[in-house]
Amino acid sequence: MFLDQLINGITLGGIYAIVALGYTLVFGVLDIINMAHGEIFMFGAFAGMLIVSKAGAPLPVAFLGAIAVTAAMGLLLERFALRPLRGRPGASHLASLISTIGVSILLENVAHKLFGAGNHLFETPFAEISFTVGPVTIYLVQLLILLISLLLMAGLALWLSRTRAGKALRATAENLETAGLLGVDTNRMITATVVIASAMGGVAGVLVGMAFNYINNQIGLSMGLKGLAIIIFGGMGSVYGAMAGGLILGLSETFVVAYGSSGYRDAIAFVAIIVILLVKPRGLFGQAPAEARR
Amino acid sequence: MPLEWLNPYHLQVASFMLINAILGVSIYVTLSTGQLSLGNAGFMGIGAYAAALLSTQHQVPIPVGILAGSLLAGAAGILVGIPSLRLSGVYLAIATLGFGEVLRAVLINWESLTGGAVGVAAIPQMGRVILARAADRGFSPESVGLQSNQFISLTVFLILLLCTILAVAFFLRLSRSRVGRAYAAIRLDESAAAAAGIPVTYYKVLAFSQGALLSGFAGALFAHSTSFVSPGDFTYHRAVEILVFAVFGGSEHILGPVFGAAFLTVVPEALRSISEYRYILYGLLLVVMMVYRPQGVVDPALLRRFRRSGKGTPA
Repeated sequence: MFLDQLINGITLGGIYAIVALGYTLVFGVLDIINMAHGEIFMFGAFAGMLIVSKAGAPLPVAFLGAIAVTAAMGLLLERFALRPLRGRPGASHLASLISTIGVSILLENVAHKLFGAGNHLFETPFAEISFTVGPVTIYLVQLLILLISLLLMAGLALWLSRTRAGKALRATAENLETAGLLGVDTNRMITATVVIASAMGGVAGVLVGMAFNYINNQIGLSMGLKGLAIIIFGGMGSVYGAMAGGLILGLSETFVVAYGSSGYRDAIAFVAIIVILLVKPRGLFGQAPAEARR
Repeated sequence: MPLEWLNPYHLQVASFMLINAILGVSIYVTLSTGQLSLGNAGFMGIGAYAAALLSTQHQVPIPVGILAGSLLAGAAGILVGIPSLRLSGVYLAIATLGFGEVLRAVLINWESLTGGAVGVAAIPQMGRVILARAADRGFSPESVGLQSNQFISLTVFLILLLCTILAVAFFLRLSRSRVGRAYAAIRLDESAAAAAGIPVTYYKVLAFSQGALLSGFAGALFAHSTSFVSPGDFTYHRAVEILVFAVFGGSEHILGPVFGAAFLTVVPEALRSISEYRYILYGLLLVVMMVYRPQGVVDPALLRRFRRSGKGTPA
């Protein structure tokens, strides 16, 4: 029982971490909270659902389709809702927050019009395949989710720390103007960031479909809110904070549901924020880089 | 039938318009220190539930219940505001969003008190209560040429109108006081305001809890106008709707959110076909406003132009 829940919690935590990474990337580079990320994630889930359940195509196609849809949405988001606000004199830091809230409301209701309010079944062909190790039952889907989240996180960390593009992105995050003067095409880096973050949201969307077997037009909001909670908890803009925060939230939600009350499951994330804001206002990993994580 | 245009439907739309106007003012007050609160729907819920439960379960008179609901929401505002306001505005927006979600979870799960997802029904309606009182003293609405449902809706409308005018007048007066100047200074530049000796955190918490109190007030009025509240009335969508009032109408002058609330309540009612696409339009509106007119439709420059043309002295 305990070990089963542990595995459930880690699986959920992996998905949360990927959602949170989407927020953290954009915040790290642009200092913007992309409130539309949850809805872009939801469209990824719907794209995956249509491909897997309706068209009957294999799972990798669903991932590619979801990535294509969400990357395109990220591109449009950056072009029409973020870029016009950038570098305008006297623009309040709330402007981009409000405009992304606008996009999120727009997308949520477009999804409502397209797919209705009900649940859609997300059928994974191997959902029932499981194997037993000692007292623990592990589903293949869970392993796959875990593997994909780990790969994605490792890939992102490597890309950021080792590649030239990653370096340019970090330079842009550090200081937009200076990076521009030093020859970084900052507009392109910013677009790349938003597109990559959105595509990660798309992957997370398919993973959620696989994990829960159903999706609806509300998952964007609930998942998005949790992602936000995680980045505050883990420290704004911190990649490791997002991963650790996701895992902690996934585990605590699973255990509260297993051993406590399920009604308050969605409130845990926010109680955690209020506590962390009081105790450690910069978040778990929001300190100077040297102390961030060994 | 006399006064046929004065039908309860029109009056109800007008009443919602006024409640929304108060909500618009509530987010304006917080925004006037440069802080974005997405928790006003939650504070509205606190006010509404407090007033509703006090009058249905404890037979507290309506005005006392409304006052208690507002104060409770204001107190909750202080509790949420203090930890969040130590940080930048973005944290506040998310923490308040989170507060709203926690509150909704509590309203749904604490069934013994709140009635769960079903909500609280049979809340005394202001207009009906007043009519009953008046009838006891031998008054009949027909004597002034009104049917009783017209009288009820009209009474509610007039009470709300009075409340709205009072709220707007109070905050208009506030904006010209020491407190209002402190708010404006903080909005323009927090560090400069702090350097000039303004206790920034104090004023931010003050503005935040004033906004919360006003939302609670609107919520309590809402409960006693519709006589039914449920957790679904106080969701994230309500919070966004309140934000849209201020962003569309304008957040630099108090008349901005009032105009925004009035316009955005009436237009979807008047054009039924739009109503279905309401939230899609809200979303577009937020993006378009931020890109083309971030200060909203009503801004001080526009008001000055109106005033000048009113006096017939073009400058």
